[in-house]
Amino acid sequence: MSKIVPCAHCHLEFEESIMIKEADNTELNFCCNGCQGVYHLLKDDGLDSFYDKLGNNKLSKPLAVGNDSSNFDMDSFNTRYIKKTEEGFSRVDLIIEGIHCAACIWLNEKVLNETPGIVDININFTNNKAKIVWDEDIIKLSQIIDKIRSIGYNAYPYNKTDSEIKATKNKKDFFLRMSIAIFASMNIMMIDVAKYTGYFTGIDSEMLRIIHMAEFIFASPVLFYSGWIFFRGAYFGLKNSIINMDFLVSAGATLTYIYSIYVLFGGAGDSYFDSVAMIITFVLVGKYLEVLGKKSAVDTMDKIKSQIPLEATIIVEDGKKVVSLDEISIDDIIEVKMGEKASVDGVVVSGYSSFDESSISGESLPVEKEVGDIILSGTINTESVIRYKATKNYANSTLNHIVELLEDSLNSKPKIEDTTQSMSKYFSIMILSLAIGTFTGWFFYDGSFENSLIIGISVIIIACPCALALATPIASLIGISWLTKEGLLFKEAKFIETFANIDAVVFDKTGTLTTGKLSVKNKPLSLSKEELNLLYSLTDSSTHPVSFAVKQYLEKSYSNLKHLELENIEQIPAFGLQATYKDYIVYGGRLENNKEYKTTIYHFTINNKLLATFELEDKLRDDAKETIEYFKKQNIKTILCSGDNETTVSTIAKKIGVDHFNSQMTPVNKADYIKSLRDSGQKVVMVGDGVNDSLALSRADISIAMGNGADIAIAISDIVILNDQLLGITKSHYISKRTFRFIKQNLMISLIYNIVTIPIAMAGFIIPLVAALSMSLSSLLVVGNSLRINNKK
Amino acid sequence: MNSILWIELVVGIIVSFTLLGIFIWGAKQGQFDDSKKMMNGLLNDSTEDLQAAFKKDEKVKELKANKKEKLKNS
Repeated sequence: MSKIVPCAHCHLEFEESIMIKEADNTELNFCCNGCQGVYHLLKDDGLDSFYDKLGNNKLSKPLAVGNDSSNFDMDSFNTRYIKKTEEGFSRVDLIIEGIHCAACIWLNEKVLNETPGIVDININFTNNKAKIVWDEDIIKLSQIIDKIRSIGYNAYPYNKTDSEIKATKNKKDFFLRMSIAIFASMNIMMIDVAKYTGYFTGIDSEMLRIIHMAEFIFASPVLFYSGWIFFRGAYFGLKNSIINMDFLVSAGATLTYIYSIYVLFGGAGDSYFDSVAMIITFVLVGKYLEVLGKKSAVDTMDKIKSQIPLEATIIVEDGKKVVSLDEISIDDIIEVKMGEKASVDGVVVSGYSSFDESSISGESLPVEKEVGDIILSGTINTESVIRYKATKNYANSTLNHIVELLEDSLNSKPKIEDTTQSMSKYFSIMILSLAIGTFTGWFFYDGSFENSLIIGISVIIIACPCALALATPIASLIGISWLTKEGLLFKEAKFIETFANIDAVVFDKTGTLTTGKLSVKNKPLSLSKEELNLLYSLTDSSTHPVSFAVKQYLEKSYSNLKHLELENIEQIPAFGLQATYKDYIVYGGRLENNKEYKTTIYHFTINNKLLATFELEDKLRDDAKETIEYFKKQNIKTILCSGDNETTVSTIAKKIGVDHFNSQMTPVNKADYIKSLRDSGQKVVMVGDGVNDSLALSRADISIAMGNGADIAIAISDIVILNDQLLGITKSHYISKRTFRFIKQNLMISLIYNIVTIPIAMAGFIIPLVAALSMSLSSLLVVGNSLRINNKK
Repeated sequence: MNSILWIELVVGIIVSFTLLGIFIWGAKQGQFDDSKKMMNGLLNDSTEDLQAAFKKDEKVKELKANKKEKLKNS
């Protein structure tokens, strides 16, 4: 085996023997021609500082885009996506594909900024959306797209929707409110650290007033500007007769604020402006994270919509006509070239090709299509030109149906009620009743309105949910950081609690329980060195998954394979690849066209003499059985759902021992099945990897995507297993369960503290020491307890 | 002593609220909309990037002037 070396452009690592070397610089290794091309383009344009900025980050291989960019200059595209600016320039919103790090953003912006005619380019790193403004008189959009493609990236247009504008505005608003709250709280806490550690003991009362005045100035914008959303939330809650967490936060903070003003202007006791600011800030940070989640759902939907083809070519009497998707009628004859997506559902009327149906069925191998076969919208033609008759219009086609369902699911994803939220309802009512009871009791007992009011308010202050508000976030934070270290990405902390309490796990088959990649199953006949080199060169000339699998097998099994210069390389549709070398006719692929094959076969012949036969299969992952066993031990139901036939699915189900399996399921079937499980009261986890799983993933309580899955599946899922190991799911479940146990302990600690301190406050013994103890000590205990979560790894 | 504290308090608050004002201005301009890009900008921006930004401003000014003239003539 030769040593592993990184590609000079993308930094992906491969064996040195298969790398492309430069004649004049053997130090440089390239994994493909695309990387080599982009590397030299950047060098020639003086943009090689890109590699310094890239550092050790890895890129994906440059995207090879078969589509012609001229459709970006079409009138239909213009009307749909291009807007005019006030100055008379053109503007388009794009999603850039292939962005991995800050260096990618830098490179795209740098290249486009240096292109004549481009007025403005701004790429958002967080969601990879780009805004481009250009002068149509100097450069065309297709030329801009070609420029992006030339450096290894690709771009899709998208329409800025009202929901995106609203989500962006909302995010900005929350960001400002949160920033001001953090700024003011930090200033207040600087003073309070000294106060609570006793540095102000015995301080002159006038000086103390100055300090309280500073706290008052900082706490006021926090309560009235940052905390405005809680007042609004409480108002809408009361309007619907609900006492919510917003009510508790706003009532607690306002009363504490009023009490502190009373102290500031001469009343007895200590001010609690710090509590006002801290409570608002803590809860606001949580709300901001929720807003970020909503914004990312909008971005995900834009990514999905950008995959919809823009137009289709239909055959008319006098030739061909390019129309927008809405203009396609049933019975129209549509032409799809290689690399294009089918826009509506239909039946093949002429031609022969194969289609990548992974977005619909999850099947990783292209499916062959001949006259009479059904074409589904959203599938990609991978071979040759084909014509088909539309059987549905765009609105009723599979692709649009899935996109609409997905949009509905993302918009109505059930809000996960966490334990703190549900507890806070009862907690709020209980505290309010106790405070009112205390005020009334003291008023009748003592007769002093002022004293009764202060004691009543002190009950609310002492019960201010500092520890309660911290109980979940602090434990979740520690759980999340542990999960991240293990390569398990939880997009939001609240998923920990839901995942800890699941009833069923639904697995997709291809790419999830299996590797999703073909590998050679048998050991074929032995070949001579020259035959091996011929076979290796032939498989290297094709990007077909079967050829690729055979090539990988050869690289793994044999060393010193050599590339031979094959000539007349020719694709034989539905069969394989043929080439000539000296006097030999070399062929690799199938010998007969039989769609009923249960396994994938690859024959290798020279001058029509069969030399080797490879049988290929999609292998089960090594950790699949162990994963199923783990969930069974936890009394969690395991289910396998696949688009494959019953024989294949049942064989795999038996092998790994799942409780239940479903075969021949479409994306909609899978999603409906998840819904039926949830309707029966079960908390369901869906594990998938493909575009075809997206709908089911969006319907589950928790969705998990494998790290090497489709972009859309990863964007939709709640948890991503970055290391692509199935055992990552079991590890995630274990950590979630342990973290949830600590959340429950934390809640118990904060409740016990309240049970102890509230009676003291009710009895009128509220002194600053007790208040400081209950507020700080309970929070410290919660933090200390949470730190124990990752002690037992 | 107390009067010094009062002056310090007023000056401190004026300074901190001025800084906060600048931050709010930046946020409203959209400078913090893309958190990842902002953080990476802090790490990676160089004099070369500053020069490129200056060149870009010059180029945009020229494009805008040309466009204005073209629209005026038409």
